[in-house]
Order: sequence, then structure tokens, then C-alpha cells
Amino acid sequence: MRRVWLLPLLLVTGCTGFFFSTPSPVPGRITHPRRDDARLAVLWVGHATVLIQMDDKFVLTDPLLGDSAGQISKRLQEPGIDPANLPPLDAVVISHLHFDHLSLGSLDMIEGKVRHLIVPRGGLVYVPNYAFDARELPTWTSFEEGGLRITAVPVKHVGFRYGLDAAWMTESFTGYVFEYHGLSVYFPGDTAYDGDRFRATAARFPHLDLALMPIAPIHPREFMGATHVDPAEAVRGFLDLHADAMVPIHYGTLVNGFDAPGEARATLQREVSARGLEGKVTILPIGGQAVIIPRPGGS
Amino acid sequence: MDAAPTEPAVHVTVPWIATQLVPSPELAHGDGSARFGLRWQVTPLLFSWGIHRGLSPWRFLVVEPYVRQSGSVEAYVTPEYFVYGSKFADGWVPRAGLRSYLPLIEHGEYLSVSVGTSYFTLAGQSGVAYEAGAYVLFGTVGVQVTVAPSGGPLAAIATLRLRYF
Repeated sequence: MRRVWLLPLLLVTGCTGFFFSTPSPVPGRITHPRRDDARLAVLWVGHATVLIQMDDKFVLTDPLLGDSAGQISKRLQEPGIDPANLPPLDAVVISHLHFDHLSLGSLDMIEGKVRHLIVPRGGLVYVPNYAFDARELPTWTSFEEGGLRITAVPVKHVGFRYGLDAAWMTESFTGYVFEYHGLSVYFPGDTAYDGDRFRATAARFPHLDLALMPIAPIHPREFMGATHVDPAEAVRGFLDLHADAMVPIHYGTLVNGFDAPGEARATLQREVSARGLEGKVTILPIGGQAVIIPRPGGS
Repeated sequence: MDAAPTEPAVHVTVPWIATQLVPSPELAHGDGSARFGLRWQVTPLLFSWGIHRGLSPWRFLVVEPYVRQSGSVEAYVTPEYFVYGSKFADGWVPRAGLRSYLPLIEHGEYLSVSVGTSYFTLAGQSGVAYEAGAYVLFGTVGVQVTVAPSGGPLAAIATLRLRYF
């Protein structure tokens, strides 16, 4: 019951953001995201939206490209890339059905670029009839086309969209592992810390090149801890996964918690320093792009 | 692997029942006076054309916001109560009708509109009414205007529609 009073407070917080803020611009937004010098590159569009380039394949995660999430939580900063500048997307994945992860308006913006949309088990009930292929991927199953293999992996979160549907939307959340040409990337969407699930994924995918780890919202911890890792837990998860590199996501884009501005990033930096992981964790600004694995001989 | 779309096991729950008890306030005007009222909503049957083509478009009683607001037609029953007459029982208005929702923004989750018609009875006199509405926040909040061409105490009704599922 202690958590119940927090829900209206979070709603008020988000509404305050909606009425009194406008997204700040991203300076120097990338217009040509394809990196010829990269085998594996990521562009953080903001929140859980990441454009992943694996050789000639592109995957977009949880696209949130509008001005708000669910008409309530306003964006603090505009998307890190103009949707018109996104390349053709071999796959778009949705980790779960919350408004900040399944944004129908965002899918409308990129409908002509998408080949396949992957959603968790039970997720199609909230997906319109788009022109592209859309399919559910239950945990530990895979979808493969053109050498790009996407596997749904277990995370600890919730599957509802509106609240009351929690009674029957009990499975509609998942993480994913993307594999292509020997490259592999882990994307959990949102997840609480669950060492068993991280280690089970690591056992199935013993060599992950990159883990995209959410690090917020942190507060109120007694509420968020059941569904979201904080920066320290994100690092623990990253270590459980035995991934080579980590890029933090899911912070600083929306008002969806009680975190102070910059708190998640600063906390992560302290955690990374304390554990001596500076060479493995790349913190990007919204709109920032990093080459995780360069192409041999690439310019 | 190809997995078939999963039919949601939509069902009545105690929290759902509790939300259905929340009334929508309304104001009626007719016969030279205004009356305050309350309206409740029940949807015995709904057909959605916005839902994914691989899933059942039918809903009974419990309707997810997306399934309704993305485009649907519903049969509805609305018990209403207006401050009317000398006895408490005089103010009850049974109303039944058909309503269609049309999505405008974000497949209706951000903005949708509706049109409908209904048949109602007040104090032994019956009439036909027509209505239009607009809704935001996945249909949770909206305004409806109901007009009965035959006049009477409920000739025009403005409703602040509050509905969750």
C-alpha cells in the first residue's frame, strides 16, 4: 500500500513537465547515421531508443520520437535524430508496452522504414495494423532473417500498458539479444535487478559485445526498485552478463521519477570509477554516436 | 519461430468494477431549467476495427482503452440520475444506444471522437437522442454532448465523461 500514493505523485510530476517545459534542442544532430568505419555502432536517440548498426543491419529499440510519452510525460530534450534521417530498419523491437516504450505515434513516423516489428508475447493487442510485419516473440524464442537473429531474453518488469490490464497482461515484457555476423548486443528495455535472469542470458550468450543498460529512474527506490535497476544495479547486471562494453540508456530524457537532474549519470560515473570500468562504459549524450567495434581498415 | 498473436485473457476484476462505479457528471438543459446529473457506462458488446487483424475484435463488458479508442462501435447502457421530480425514483433515466469511436491522434490514445444515438426514458416518457464526444488521455477524459430533438427536460446534456476501461 505504501506505493499507491506514489502513483498520483508521479503523474503530477509528469504533468508538470508537460505543461511547463519544452524539449531542448540537440546540437549538431547526426543526419547520416550509417558509419562505414564501424562493425558495431550505436546512436542514443534518447530514453530507451537506440539505433544499432551491426555491419549493414540496423535495429531500432523502443522508438520514442515524439514530444511526450503517453501525453503526460514531456520530453526534456528532442530526439537525438530526426526520424526522417533514420536508415531503413531491418527490425524494430518493443521491450514492453508502457507509453515510453511502445509509442504508436513514433511507429507511425517510421512506418515506411520498418521491415519487422518484434514485440513481447501478448503485445500485439496494442499494436495497430501497420504495413510492416509485426510479430510476438516469447521469451527464449528467436526470429531470424537475412542473418540477423533476434532472441527474446528474460528480464524482470511488468507487462501492462494502462494499469487495470495488469490482471491479464502478465507476460508482455522482454529483453532482446541481437546477433549478426558474429556480433551480439543485449537490450533489456526496462528491468529490475535479477541476477539469475542476467546470468541465464550470459549462459546462453557467452560473448556479448555490448549491453545497453537502463540506469533510471532511481527514485522513489521502494517503488522503482521492483521494476527498474539503478546505476549500481545496472553495472552489476552488466558484470553478470560478461559483456565487453556498456552504454547506459533510459535516463535524462523524460520526467518519470523523482531523480534530480543529472543524478543517474553522476551516480553511474561514480560507480564506474569505483569499479575501474572506465574503459568499458561509454556514456553518450542524447544524439551521440559511438563506434563500439571499428571496421578493420575503416576510415 | 512464428508465434501467433496472443489473445489477451480480458476479464472482470474487482479493480475494474470499482472504476466502473465512478460516475460522469453532467448538466442537462430543457423545459427552461438546468439539472445536474450523473452517468454510468456499461458496454455489453464492442467491435473494434483498430485492433490487430490477428486478434478477436470483440469485447464484452471489459474493453481496453486502445481497443475502444482506436476505432470501434459499441452497444452501451447508461444508467443516469438527474435531479428531477419530487421523488428520488423520478430522476433515474435508463438509456441504451450505439456509439462509434474514431481515432484522430496516436490511434485514438491522444485524441478520439465519437458519434452515437440512444433511446431513453424519463418519468415514463421516452425519446431518441443523438450525441457527439471528444476524448483525450486514452479515452479516460472526454466531453459529450447529447441532444434530444423531441425536447423535454433532457433536450440537451453536456457530460464530462470519465471512464477507465
